[in-house]
Amino acid sequence: MPVVLIGMNHKTAPVEIRERLALACDDPSRAITTLRSLPHLREVLYLATCNRVEVLAEMEDEARGLEGIKAFIFSHGNLPGEELESCLYIYRGDTATRHLFRVASSLDSMVMGEPQILGQVKEAYRMSVENGASGLMINKLLHHAFRVAKRVRTETAIAFNAVSVSYAAVALAKKIFGGLGGKTVLLIGAGEMSELAARHLLKNGAGRIIVANRTFENAVRLAEEFQGLATGFEALEEHLKEADIVISSTGSAGFVVSADMARNALRRRKNRLLFLIDIAVPRDIDPAAGEIDNVYLYNIDHLQEIVDENLKNRLEEAEKAERIVEEEVIRFAEWRNTLEVVPTIRSLKDRADAIIHGEMEKSFSWIRELREEDRERVEILVHGVVNKILHGPVTSLKEASQNDGTPVYVAAVRDLFHLDSPGSESGQQDVGKTETEEKESSS
Amino acid sequence: METWLFKAALFAYLVSTAGYLVSLLVRRVSVARISTWVLFAAFAIHTLFIIGRWRLSGQSPVITLYESLSFLAWAVSGGYLVFQTMTKTRVLGAFVAPFSFLLMMATSLGLTGENVVPEILRGYWVPAHVFFTLTGEALLVLACLAGTMYLLQDHALRKKTAFRFSRYLPSLRDLDRINHLSLLWGFVFFTVGIIAGAVWAGAVWGRPWQWDPKQVFTLLAWILYVILVHQRLAIGWKGRKAAFLSILAFAVLLFSLAGVHAFFTTVHDFF
Repeated sequence: MPVVLIGMNHKTAPVEIRERLALACDDPSRAITTLRSLPHLREVLYLATCNRVEVLAEMEDEARGLEGIKAFIFSHGNLPGEELESCLYIYRGDTATRHLFRVASSLDSMVMGEPQILGQVKEAYRMSVENGASGLMINKLLHHAFRVAKRVRTETAIAFNAVSVSYAAVALAKKIFGGLGGKTVLLIGAGEMSELAARHLLKNGAGRIIVANRTFENAVRLAEEFQGLATGFEALEEHLKEADIVISSTGSAGFVVSADMARNALRRRKNRLLFLIDIAVPRDIDPAAGEIDNVYLYNIDHLQEIVDENLKNRLEEAEKAERIVEEEVIRFAEWRNTLEVVPTIRSLKDRADAIIHGEMEKSFSWIRELREEDRERVEILVHGVVNKILHGPVTSLKEASQNDGTPVYVAAVRDLFHLDSPGSESGQQDVGKTETEEKESSS
Repeated sequence: METWLFKAALFAYLVSTAGYLVSLLVRRVSVARISTWVLFAAFAIHTLFIIGRWRLSGQSPVITLYESLSFLAWAVSGGYLVFQTMTKTRVLGAFVAPFSFLLMMATSLGLTGENVVPEILRGYWVPAHVFFTLTGEALLVLACLAGTMYLLQDHALRKKTAFRFSRYLPSLRDLDRINHLSLLWGFVFFTVGIIAGAVWAGAVWGRPWQWDPKQVFTLLAWILYVILVHQRLAIGWKGRKAAFLSILAFAVLLFSLAGVHAFFTTVHDFF
C-alpha cells in the first residue's frame, strides 16, 4: 500500500501548462470523482492551485496506479505525454510525506510563507472526504500536515514580514498609526503599484480614499473604483491636510509635494502624524519633507530595502521550518511503520482467541460443573497465560517496525504461530512488499 | 505573613522580568502575554502586602523610605497594567518589570528593620504628600519610558534600514498616547502632592516654602512639566518634541528625588 504523490508546480512546469491543467480541472469535485473511479487507487487527494497541481494517492498497485493518474493528467491537460511528463515529479514514501508537509506549510510556495496555501490544502482534503476518496492513510497524513503547518507558523517567523512593496507600506503605516481604522489615504497620480498599495491599506481598515490626478477624468474613474473622492491637482494642498497617508506616483518631472506644502499641512492638521510614500521615479515628494517632525517619508528604494531585508529574514526562518518538517516526517514514518505490523498482530491475537475458544469448548463438560465464580476464574487464568505469552512477540514486532526488521519478524511470527496455515481462520494478506524491502532491493 | 507576601511579590516581579526578557529573545508574543499575567499577579500580591502592612502597623504604609520605594514600584506596575490593557503595548513591560523589581530589591534591604517614624511626620498631610507625589512620579516614569521608546521608534522609522529593530516597538501613536495620558495624570497627582507637602511644611516649619535645594529642583521639574502640558494641550505638540521634553523633565525630577541628597544638605532628610 504505497503512498505516491505525483504533480507539478511553478518550479517544474511553465505557467502555460499549469493554467491549462488548472482550467481543465476547474471543478475539483469532478476531478476527484474521476480519480476515485480509477482502478488500483484506494485513497486519493487532488490539489490544484494557480501554482500547482498535485495528486496524492494510496494505491494497491503502484505501477498501474501511476499509469492511471498520468493518463488522467494527460487527458485533462490536453497535451502530448512527453511534454507533460518532463514537468511531473513523482514522490514515494517519506519523500511524498515531506513534499506534502512542505506544501502545507508554504515552504514550496512561489512566495514562501504566503498563508493561502494551507486553506487550499484543507479545501482539497474536504473534497476528498466528501467524495469518499479518503481513508486511513490520507486522513492521518493530512491531519499531520495541518499540524506541521501550524507548528511552522507558530514556531518560526516565516509568515511574519512583508515581502512586497505594498505590504511593506501597510506594515509601516501600522508601525506609525497603530491601527489604520479611520485613516484617510490620498492617492496622487495613478499606477499599478500605488493602486495595489491603496487597496491593501483599505483592506487593512483605512477609512477613506481621495484620488488626485492632473486629468480630472482619470481621478473620477479611479475614485469610483475605490468609492472615494476625486479631485484635480489644484486642490491638492487642501486635501493634504486631511490625509494621514499619501501615496504619490505621478509621471511629473518636478516635485508635486514640496516641503513647504507638507509643513503647512502638518500645521493645519495640528501635528498629527503624516506618512508620505513616494513610489514615483523621478520622485514626487521633496526629500526635505522627510526631515520635518512627525512626517515620515519613504521612497521606492526605502520600501524595496525593507522587502529585501524581509526576504533574507524569511530564508533564515525557512531553514528552521525545514527542520520542523524533517522532524515530523520521521514522526509520521514511525506511525506508518507500525501500521505494517498491525495486521500480523491482529491475526496473532485472533489465532490465540480461536485456540482459547476451541480448548474451552473441549473442556465444556467439566467447566459447566463449576460454580459461576470459579468459571470466571478459569477464564481469567487462561487469558492471562495467553496474553503473557503473546506480549513478547507483539512487543518485538512493534520494535522491529521502527528499525528495518519488519519483514523478517513478520515472516518469523507468521511461521512460528502458523498464522498463514489453512487451519487458521485469519488468512488475511499481510504487508506484502514493504517500503524497507523496496529500498534494499533498489540499492 | 507580611514578609511572606513581600517575598512572593518580589519573586513574581523577578519571574515577570525574566519572562519579558525571554520574550524579546525568542520573539514570542505568548511568552510576553504570560509575563503580563505574572506581573499582574505580582501587583495583586504587592497590593495585599501593602494593605496588610497598613493594618498591622496602624500607620500609613508609605511613610518610611523603604516603604515609599515599594509604593513607587507598586504604582509604576499598576500604571503600566492600565496602559497595557488600553493599548496592548507589551514591550513597555520589558522596561517596567525590571524597574519594579529593582525598586523592590532596594526595598528589601531595609524593610524588616525597625523604622521609628519621627514625631514630626505623624499626621495626615505627610501620607497624603507621599501618596500623591509617588503616584504622580510613577506615572511620570511611564511617560518618560514611553517617550524614550517613542524616540527609538521614531529613529528606527527615519533611518529606514532599522526596520528589523522597529518591529519590537509599539506604534508611534500608541506610545504618544501613553506619554500623553501618563503625563497629564502624573502631573495632576504630582501637583496635589507638592501642595500637600507645602501645607504640611507651613504647619510644622512655619513657612511652606524655604528655597531648599530639593524644593528648588522639584520646582524646576514641575515648571518643565507645566511647559510640556501647556505645549501639548494649547499648542498641539505631538510626538518627538513632547517625548524629548518629557525625558528631560524626568531627568531633573530624578535628580531632585535621588541626586539632591548626594550633593546638598536638605531639610527633606528625615531618616
